[in-house]
Amino acid sequence: MNAVEIVGGVAAKHDPSDRVGRPDSPLRAMRRRVGGHAVLDPFGLDPQLCDLAAPIFRFSMRVETFGAESVPSNGPAVLVMNRGYGVFEPTALTVAIMNETGRRVRVVGAPGLFGVGNALRRFGAIAATAADINAALAAGHLVAIPMAPAWLSPRSGAPPLELMQTVMKSIVLPVAVRPGGPFGAPLAGWRVKIGTPIVTDDSLALGDPLGAAELSETVRTAVDNLR
Amino acid sequence: MRVLVTGMGGELGTRVAQLLEARPEVRDIVGCDFVPPRRRLRRAEFRRIDPRNREKLRDFVLDFAPTHVAHFGVYEPASRLSPAQAAQRTELASMVALSAAARAGALEYVVVRSGLEIYGPRRNRASVPDESVPPAPVTPYGTSLLKVEGAAAGVARRHGIPVGALRYAPVVGSHVPSPLGRLLRLPVVPVAAWSDPPFSLVHPEDACAAMVAALFVRVDGPVNIVGPGAASPWQAARLGGRIPLPLIAPLWGAASQVVEFTGAAIAPHVVELLRFGRTGSGAHATATLGLGQLRSTQAVLQELYEWAEIVPLDTVRESVA
Repeated sequence: MNAVEIVGGVAAKHDPSDRVGRPDSPLRAMRRRVGGHAVLDPFGLDPQLCDLAAPIFRFSMRVETFGAESVPSNGPAVLVMNRGYGVFEPTALTVAIMNETGRRVRVVGAPGLFGVGNALRRFGAIAATAADINAALAAGHLVAIPMAPAWLSPRSGAPPLELMQTVMKSIVLPVAVRPGGPFGAPLAGWRVKIGTPIVTDDSLALGDPLGAAELSETVRTAVDNLR
Repeated sequence: MRVLVTGMGGELGTRVAQLLEARPEVRDIVGCDFVPPRRRLRRAEFRRIDPRNREKLRDFVLDFAPTHVAHFGVYEPASRLSPAQAAQRTELASMVALSAAARAGALEYVVVRSGLEIYGPRRNRASVPDESVPPAPVTPYGTSLLKVEGAAAGVARRHGIPVGALRYAPVVGSHVPSPLGRLLRLPVVPVAAWSDPPFSLVHPEDACAAMVAALFVRVDGPVNIVGPGAASPWQAARLGGRIPLPLIAPLWGAASQVVEFTGAAIAPHVVELLRFGRTGSGAHATATLGLGQLRSTQAVLQELYEWAEIVPLDTVRESVA
């Protein structure tokens, strides 16, 4: 599928840090990198590298997406997703959003590990801190917050409470990412179901711990119901 | 409106004075610095005062009794002064000028020049800090900026006036004396071997426009002034056709000395930028100052590299003669 066609009418005002673009030919990409024309965004994302790797991700992760119309075509939103296999679910969600809306996803949880964190940031990971999430939302990006890992439990893990406190006034979408293979094995592609935005209680102040706990529980229930 | 521009001899101070001259609401503009202004000023009055001469600076500010202060008397180490001199002059200029302006009795608003260096190295805690992130500087320049903001906050507390602090990303431009600008223009640029972190820059014109806007909007509290986008040291060096030289942590001290020997003094805050990056969220500035679209980091870099290497002054002198 052609990336520019997905973006459609907004291709003219293409913001490479938020919109997937057409990958360069390997030779042109190499030239741009050597000539210093491959730019980063403030979070460390490398749009050119992401676009180059996009066909590889699309090929290696077959994803079936439901409910992508809930994702805003512009502006900030928070996607809260379940997690069992670690990096696979965020990658499946990134591919799903890329295919359906042509937007990039900032996945929360870049490790501080020497070298690894930097490499993941090139592909859109951001740190699991309130400051980085606020900055990404202020810049109008889609932010994916993975819930606590749940390996064998039928229910999803809890979303990180401290981070939910910072996103209480944003558009929050529950996302269920499930492997399509037998017994939940990641063999036959992935199914990504995106729910409708969660309505939050306006009377609660931003950062209210009780409000954040309620929001976390609502999101968790919504993700479980999306199975 | 009677505006005092401290540090008027710097590139930003001079340009801000010029922009203020064009505003009819500004009745008087005076400035002071230890070096003369860098451009021709028509209406603004300049007094050459070294901040170390406390009495002269204090009397000058008390006599003028400003209503607004644009405090550019914040000197970046290795820009035009050695690190020790820069820290000393910054501290003196801030303490003496701000306290005298407050004591003169007419003060309504103060805005100080600060920088993203105040947040400390870009770590996992907050890699794109907004204004709510508590400052944690580790370099002498960052600490110096924290003291300046502290002095300004003291004025705000005691006199009950709004005080703004513009936390600029590194201001790099063809005419701005900046250690980062000089370093990036060396034939070989030291970069971190294992990380290539992003840093953002701001164009000098945007930096000045932000200061003027802050004076009129009277923005209270800190505001990050950051150009959109980012570059990495490796990419920036290649953009200018320079050779990036990857360095590992223990070699940075030696590299600083070699670079200083070649004529571009390198301060700890510049090493911090090259090793850990330096970015910030500029969303608050867009919302409060109404600046429109700032020039991107890439555009700032391109302008830096397109600058003519040397302007021969002899021919100019001959033609005048």
